[in-house]
Amino acid sequence: MLKKTAALAAAAIIAVSAGTASAARDYINIVGSSTVYPFATVVAEQFGKTTHFKTPKIESTGSGGGMKLFCAGVGVEHPDITNASRRIKKSEFDKCQGNGVTDILEVKIGYDGIVLANSKKSSPMKLSRKDIFLALAKDIPDPSGAEKLIPNPHQTWHDVNPALPNIKIEVLGPPPTSGTRDAFVELVMEGGGKKIGWIKAMKKKDKKAYKRICHTVREDGAYIEAGENDNLIVQKLNANPNAIGIFGFSFLDQNSDVIQGSIVDGVEPTFEAIADGQYPVSRPLYFYAKKAHIGMVPGLSEYLNEFSSEKAWGEEGYLTDRGMIPMPDSERKQMRNDVKTLRNLEM
Amino acid sequence: MSTTFIISLLLGLSIAGYFFGYRRSITLASPIGGVKNLHSRPAYYGMLVALWCGLPTFIIFLVWQSLEPSIISSLMIADLPLDYQNLPKNQLGLIINDIKNLATGNIVAGEKNAIMHAAANHYVQLQILSKWIKGGALLVLGLITLIIVCRRITPEQRARNHVEKIIRIVLFCCSTIAILTTLGIILSVLFESIRFFKAVPITDFLFGLKWSPQTAIRADQVGSSGAFGAVPVFIGTMMISAIALFIAVPIGLMSAIYLSEYAGKKFRTIAKPLLEILAGIPTVVYGFFAALSVAPFIRQTGGLLGLDVSSESALAAGLVMGIMIIPFVSSLSDDVINAVPQSLRDGSYALGATRSETIRNVVVPAALPGIIGGILLAASRAIGETMIVVMAAGLSARLTANPLETVTTITVQIVTLLVGDQEFDSPKTLAAFALGLLLFVATLILNVIALVVVRKYREQYE
Amino acid sequence: MQKNNSVIGQERIQKKLKQRYRAEKRFRRLGLFAVITALSFLAILLISISSKGYTAFQQTYIKLEIPLSHEILDVKNLANADYPGLVKASLRQMFPDVKGRRDKRKLYGLVSTGAAFELQDRIIEDPTLIGEKISMWVPASSDVDMFMKGQIPKNVSENERRIKDNEIEWIDWLQQEERIEKRFNTVFFTAGDSRDPELSGIRGALSGSIFTLFITLLLSFPIGAATAVYLEEFAPKNKWTDLIEVNINNLAAVPSIVFGLLGLAVFINFFGLPRSVPLVGGLVLTLMTLPTIIIAGRAALKAVPPSIREAALGVGASPMQTVLHHVLPLAMPGMLTGTIIGMAQALGETAPLLMIGMVAFIVDVPGSFTDPSTVLPVQIFLWADSPERGFMERTSAAIMVLLVFLITMNAVAIFLRKRFERRW
Repeated sequence: MLKKTAALAAAAIIAVSAGTASAARDYINIVGSSTVYPFATVVAEQFGKTTHFKTPKIESTGSGGGMKLFCAGVGVEHPDITNASRRIKKSEFDKCQGNGVTDILEVKIGYDGIVLANSKKSSPMKLSRKDIFLALAKDIPDPSGAEKLIPNPHQTWHDVNPALPNIKIEVLGPPPTSGTRDAFVELVMEGGGKKIGWIKAMKKKDKKAYKRICHTVREDGAYIEAGENDNLIVQKLNANPNAIGIFGFSFLDQNSDVIQGSIVDGVEPTFEAIADGQYPVSRPLYFYAKKAHIGMVPGLSEYLNEFSSEKAWGEEGYLTDRGMIPMPDSERKQMRNDVKTLRNLEM
Repeated sequence: MSTTFIISLLLGLSIAGYFFGYRRSITLASPIGGVKNLHSRPAYYGMLVALWCGLPTFIIFLVWQSLEPSIISSLMIADLPLDYQNLPKNQLGLIINDIKNLATGNIVAGEKNAIMHAAANHYVQLQILSKWIKGGALLVLGLITLIIVCRRITPEQRARNHVEKIIRIVLFCCSTIAILTTLGIILSVLFESIRFFKAVPITDFLFGLKWSPQTAIRADQVGSSGAFGAVPVFIGTMMISAIALFIAVPIGLMSAIYLSEYAGKKFRTIAKPLLEILAGIPTVVYGFFAALSVAPFIRQTGGLLGLDVSSESALAAGLVMGIMIIPFVSSLSDDVINAVPQSLRDGSYALGATRSETIRNVVVPAALPGIIGGILLAASRAIGETMIVVMAAGLSARLTANPLETVTTITVQIVTLLVGDQEFDSPKTLAAFALGLLLFVATLILNVIALVVVRKYREQYE
Repeated sequence: MQKNNSVIGQERIQKKLKQRYRAEKRFRRLGLFAVITALSFLAILLISISSKGYTAFQQTYIKLEIPLSHEILDVKNLANADYPGLVKASLRQMFPDVKGRRDKRKLYGLVSTGAAFELQDRIIEDPTLIGEKISMWVPASSDVDMFMKGQIPKNVSENERRIKDNEIEWIDWLQQEERIEKRFNTVFFTAGDSRDPELSGIRGALSGSIFTLFITLLLSFPIGAATAVYLEEFAPKNKWTDLIEVNINNLAAVPSIVFGLLGLAVFINFFGLPRSVPLVGGLVLTLMTLPTIIIAGRAALKAVPPSIREAALGVGASPMQTVLHHVLPLAMPGMLTGTIIGMAQALGETAPLLMIGMVAFIVDVPGSFTDPSTVLPVQIFLWADSPERGFMERTSAAIMVLLVFLITMNAVAIFLRKRFERRW
């Protein structure tokens, strides 16, 4: 008898929950970049603690993965916001349009420098973008000077550039779902590839081949795809002094006692150098919101307001404490205005 | 009328049914000379009424409950103005979400127009109406069955057999859940795997030597080449499992021998539960331990010896996994060693063998099939272990036999491919299911062999 | 000649015997060594975790004097007042010499961002405080906390530690004034997840675990017990029963992550249940623990001697009565033990829950079976990957809490087994 009542109660619970499962959503659902994740979570927490709305739920999926989920459609089962560490691509925008996500609000929130860092236990690296390209590209120009490609033979940094130390090339970096990867190949690898005359010339002749040369990262183990989790990379760098990691400046800032940034093209990655554009590798951070959801999902417009307030993204805001580099005043003002008027993204 | 109220109402009705049935059987029994002349004891008559009145109403309740939301939603949509109804499906979904938020008194996003307020009111009314109808209908149905079953009670009625039959059916239904689970696993993994094998030939997957699944996810992106050869992943899994077994089998086996053949009762009662704690520690804790304590330690030690140890060496993950499976090996071996008949030992002692000679030459060979079965089960556990390798092993799939290098495993790849990305259209995500299938089949084979071996062995001595 | 021979033989036997005894001793020591090795692994694991984690049960607090002026706090609009500003002003008042943007930022960084939330809560609770000057203890920031706990060494060069020289001066001053102290960390047990280590707690994850386990227990115990009874007592011996049996034994050894794949494909993609909720987590864990419970239940039923059944049948009980009235109550302790062990397994499980999305950043403590939530082991996994140094001790502390739960559950199971164990 006891057993039967228990079974009955169990079934009852299922029934009750089955009933509520299809109930409405009353919290904001956010996906996207792991680089923006630490900033978005701080805003979400502030938002949840200072308003009567529920704290948004945030999953870290990478910029690309987030876009894919975001563009899947309009409705409660799809996320309201996706964070991105790069601008939305035309192909993604088209996909969004095709799935009925027509009105998108684009918000640029600030800048992040991409740093190459290693453990403080070893000495800092002085690299140029060309060095990085030659160390990490899948195929590199023949060292003899002929205009053809050979599979990357370099095993140590010394092979790449005699001025560099004789240690194995071991770079921990993000996979293609990550916006950091996109920005890295565009800013660093392409920037390095361009330094080689005939590759640069190719850009005009055969853009596709040019891109393939510059953007393809070697797969023989020198470049290790370390997943979306930048934190893990930091821990692994600490354990392995020879390895170099690629991630956003905020992670360097948080862990400045154990890792140090490599000097790229003669500039050290500091807050100031990134903010005034001296450091060659910095990229803007964005988030995208579905306009159709504003006014439908409780708290969404208030969240947008919180994110775009001075106390969040201003010079003295709490996001800068986390290592985000704020936009100049004029740009912030314009973005704030875009949020207020819900300016539609056009491409 | 809330849902909990309806449930308690049905429960109350059942209990009432029990008492009515009980009383009715006793009233029927008094003219024929007391309870002893009934076919069954009065409680069974009560139970019969209770079951008849509880089960059907409850099933109807479940069905109603699962259909209710969609029916109410569609009724509400039908009453919305036409220009709302003609909106695209997903936008309509959003508006419905909003109306529901409005109706449940939830925080509502912004200003709402009169139409939505009306719809929300309508929605609430429909919900209340549905609850009343549901409650009323179920109550009436319950009462009717109660009366009918009650009235049909006769002293000759075989109430006990009837009740027992119902219970038996319920028991049987429960036992099929295990089958359904396996079926669910096979189907869910198989379907997605078949879709994957349409994109990537199965031979490429099984025999390919290159694993590089992070394909470009956009048309204008250059990702990795997208090779889906599972061999390096499989080799990595095997290597970590082999290291784990290399640690766990000697330690586990020797512990089992010592505990069952040598240790005093006191030592045994303390040591055995302590050993079993090792099996009870969550794997995420082992992962944390491996990543933060063991891996750096191995790296440093390797550095002192002049070895180049990767920070995510297979050795670290394998070592910690070995610690985890010690108790699997030891407790299974303990069981089979204890099952070896004492007569075999006595015979050996009588011939003048020492204890260790008896153990090595008589007990272990006799228990060998069981021990092997235990080791196979431990191996299957090691292959399927996830958290330790996710936290302590690497992601780069390479073909290597050096335990100081990084390898990746099937479970690590499943987690990295699936966490976050929930789309089901690219070979990348589908590959996770193919790996899952591979994992399921591999462990299934190990388990079945182990189970057969152990069973054969048990039969031998029973 | 013959005698001589036997002496030599005896000598040889003696020699051999010594060798054999030595081998015996060696073997025995080897066994003891194995047990001790295994146990020392356990000890190392527990010690390494608790030595990292015990500090998390304390938290550093700083005492602030905060003037609550009417100008900043408008009684009608308390929700939008500038509480962080008040906290900052109070800090500036305490250290008037601090000038310059960088230094001021460092000064503000002494206290946690949570200070402003606490102040806000306190004022909204009691608006009559406005106009007065209150003194309150607020949590210190994670870096200060780490420093106070000695996890940031003083004696390394300035740029290798997160707490700089001037910050150390301030902390020393606070210590002199008795404005800084370590207290028991209640936040750790009352708060949900947070990005700031000093504000994060395990309550959200713990409630998620409880909701999930509740569903698991509610489903797996009745179903498991019923299956065990059917298979052990009623099932006819045929192909179908064999199949079920092989199946259950195999399911017990299927990797847990495969159950996660099942949950993702069936509950989320097919039935459309929401992601990241305890309901789905509970269903997945039910399927995972069922085999354990069934196998333990069957063993318990098997241990009931046939004489009990025969006696019951002999006095005219039906098979069902025999089982329900006599066999099942006797097997109950064994079944409960199995269930507790299964629950302990479910409590520590992480991998399948990663598959169904219970791995998001969730601050609010879940209040129902369908609120997004995470569970304790997943929280450990998330914290283990966080860069802030303060999360290291939190992770270890969360592990300690989890282990306390698990060891208690296992101890209860062992106690039950001992208490109700019957020798027939």
